[in-house]
Amino acid sequence: MSDSGSSSGAPGGGDAAPAPKSVPKPVVQKGKLPVRRPDVDTLFSINPDGSRNAIHPADVKGRFQTRKHLLWYVLIAIYLAVPWVKIGERPLLLIDIQARHFYLLGQTFNAQDFWLAFFFVTGLGFSLFVVAGLWGRMWCGYACPQTVFLEGLFRRIERLIEGPAAARAKLDKAPFSQKFFRRGLKMVVFFLLAALISHSFLGYFMPVEVLMEAVTSSPTKHMTAFLFMVISTLILFVDFTWFREQLCIAICPYGRLQGALYDPDTVLVGYDSKRGEPRGTAGTAGAKDCIDCFRCVTVCPTGIDIRNGTQLECVGCANCIDACDDVMTKLGRPKGLVRYDSQRGFETGQRRFWRGRVVLYVALMLVGLGAFVFAVTKRRPFEANLVRARGTSYTVEGDRVHGVFELHLINKRSGPRTFHVTDIGPAGAEIVVAMREVALESLQDLRVPVHVFVPMAQWKAGLKCELSVRCDDPDGELVRLATAPLLGPSGAGR
Amino acid sequence: MTTEATRGHTFDGIEEFDNRLPNWWLWTFYLACIFSVFYWIHYHTLGTGNLPIKEYAIEQAAAAARDEAAAANNPITEESLRELAKNPAIVEEGKKIFHDPTRCALCHKPDGSGLIGPNLTDDMWVYGGKAMDIYTTILKGRPGGMLPHESFGQQFVMRSTAYVLSIKNTNLPGKPPEANAKKEQ
Repeated sequence: MSDSGSSSGAPGGGDAAPAPKSVPKPVVQKGKLPVRRPDVDTLFSINPDGSRNAIHPADVKGRFQTRKHLLWYVLIAIYLAVPWVKIGERPLLLIDIQARHFYLLGQTFNAQDFWLAFFFVTGLGFSLFVVAGLWGRMWCGYACPQTVFLEGLFRRIERLIEGPAAARAKLDKAPFSQKFFRRGLKMVVFFLLAALISHSFLGYFMPVEVLMEAVTSSPTKHMTAFLFMVISTLILFVDFTWFREQLCIAICPYGRLQGALYDPDTVLVGYDSKRGEPRGTAGTAGAKDCIDCFRCVTVCPTGIDIRNGTQLECVGCANCIDACDDVMTKLGRPKGLVRYDSQRGFETGQRRFWRGRVVLYVALMLVGLGAFVFAVTKRRPFEANLVRARGTSYTVEGDRVHGVFELHLINKRSGPRTFHVTDIGPAGAEIVVAMREVALESLQDLRVPVHVFVPMAQWKAGLKCELSVRCDDPDGELVRLATAPLLGPSGAGR
Repeated sequence: MTTEATRGHTFDGIEEFDNRLPNWWLWTFYLACIFSVFYWIHYHTLGTGNLPIKEYAIEQAAAAARDEAAAANNPITEESLRELAKNPAIVEEGKKIFHDPTRCALCHKPDGSGLIGPNLTDDMWVYGGKAMDIYTTILKGRPGGMLPHESFGQQFVMRSTAYVLSIKNTNLPGKPPEANAKKEQ
């Protein structure tokens, strides 16, 4: 990431806060090699030679941690439970790729409704814009599945097996023979969890009944699903074991967009440099509130120093806020040296909620979600299309023109419905419908043969076969017209 | 304020550092480059790999060859179809197809006595009443409304033919014979 750290216009790192646009000085401690410190010019998680610098965030407790962990457990439960939840007979959320059926909150969709996804996805996308414009990477630190599973599950288990941050860093450097057992145990547990999560993830794309059947039978019977599962398990395993914060820093497009979504009133995790600078241990002459204890740095899961201002690596996890509040409390100083605030807030103490960009993002979100909701409530509950039978045009039988059609009915409701077919025209024609009453299950379809006989005397070009299809629906009777042009001999009957 | 650590260009006060890319990132790039060489040689230089259109054609040809082999091993003849019609298990399978309210029964009624389609239980046939005629009618369709059923597969057509042969000449009262139907035993 050659442009990493170029945090232009960032609160704290901007004009008002004279944070050190640092030329990192190696900090030399007695009898130790120079220690690399985070700076704004490089990625701390990548060493100068391009290799990975594993980040081992230290333990931290505090109000935001408590809230986050509560939220994470709820979210993990939701993420794992959703594939199993049903509303009535239908899944709460299922994108059944094989059957091309989609279920969302009791609504059923088929392939013809796919255009609705555009509004749904843009609506959700702009709601993330709203969150980013107001509170920065709030989503990333609190609700993104990557964070929720990494910090709420995998990192906790790592802490349990390998110990606190210092022990984990030591284990990294330990010879293979010494770390074999702990590392091996961790890998096994991580792999099993990755498999569990990827199965749950697959449950969003195939019905759980089919999934369970597949899981309990031989892989050779469903090779595609099995391979998908193996590959997604491996991807999750590598992600949560090794790749971790690199995903948020280098891969996630939402993270890369953030800089364009902020303004000086966006509330972010920041450092009050007015209150903190110059730094110095308690008692140093001229030193203000920051005692340069580096707690905010050691607890950071992406390896930044928040005192350098907002940086693209920051996922808004608030670990540094809790860490600093703890230190300030111990020193008897007010909390909030590191806190949620906007650039304007840090400079002038003022905040603004509604700005042009927030209004715009909210409007765009409402357009997307509004159009989706409107279209869902107004969409046709069933399809009734009259199409000419494949490979036919017309035949003249005696003094009548005979045309063959198929009435294609699709029930798009979430329950069974009965359809009644009555003929409207053309007048004087005999219309034979193979089934006048059709009962269809949810998302079932049927092609009903329809034969039309028009007396030659009444035949003229431009005649249409018109059928009326009525659906008995609890929400009221619904009627649709199905029409198709009739073919016949030119010049006949004129 | 270009320094030696930056690339030397500025836009709106934003400069680009010249840090080394992460090794994992470089490796994805190197592996993609190596992969592309083999891919290009395999698919485009030597032509040893099949591009999607060719692969589709090969699968189509393989399916056709399978069908032909099956037909050669078990040719469909007047006699073989009559033989099938004597097998109660096959006729029962054909009956299931015929009685499916979305298939034959739609036009011919479940008992075959005719609705839109002709009465199949009499001895009057528009397109021929021999086993092979009935088979061809079901397989390829006929003008006047009979739909083709090739897409359902040979087994489907054979079974329904067997059922039609089994109800032929049972003379149920139903739709009167068509004007262009001919008497045939």
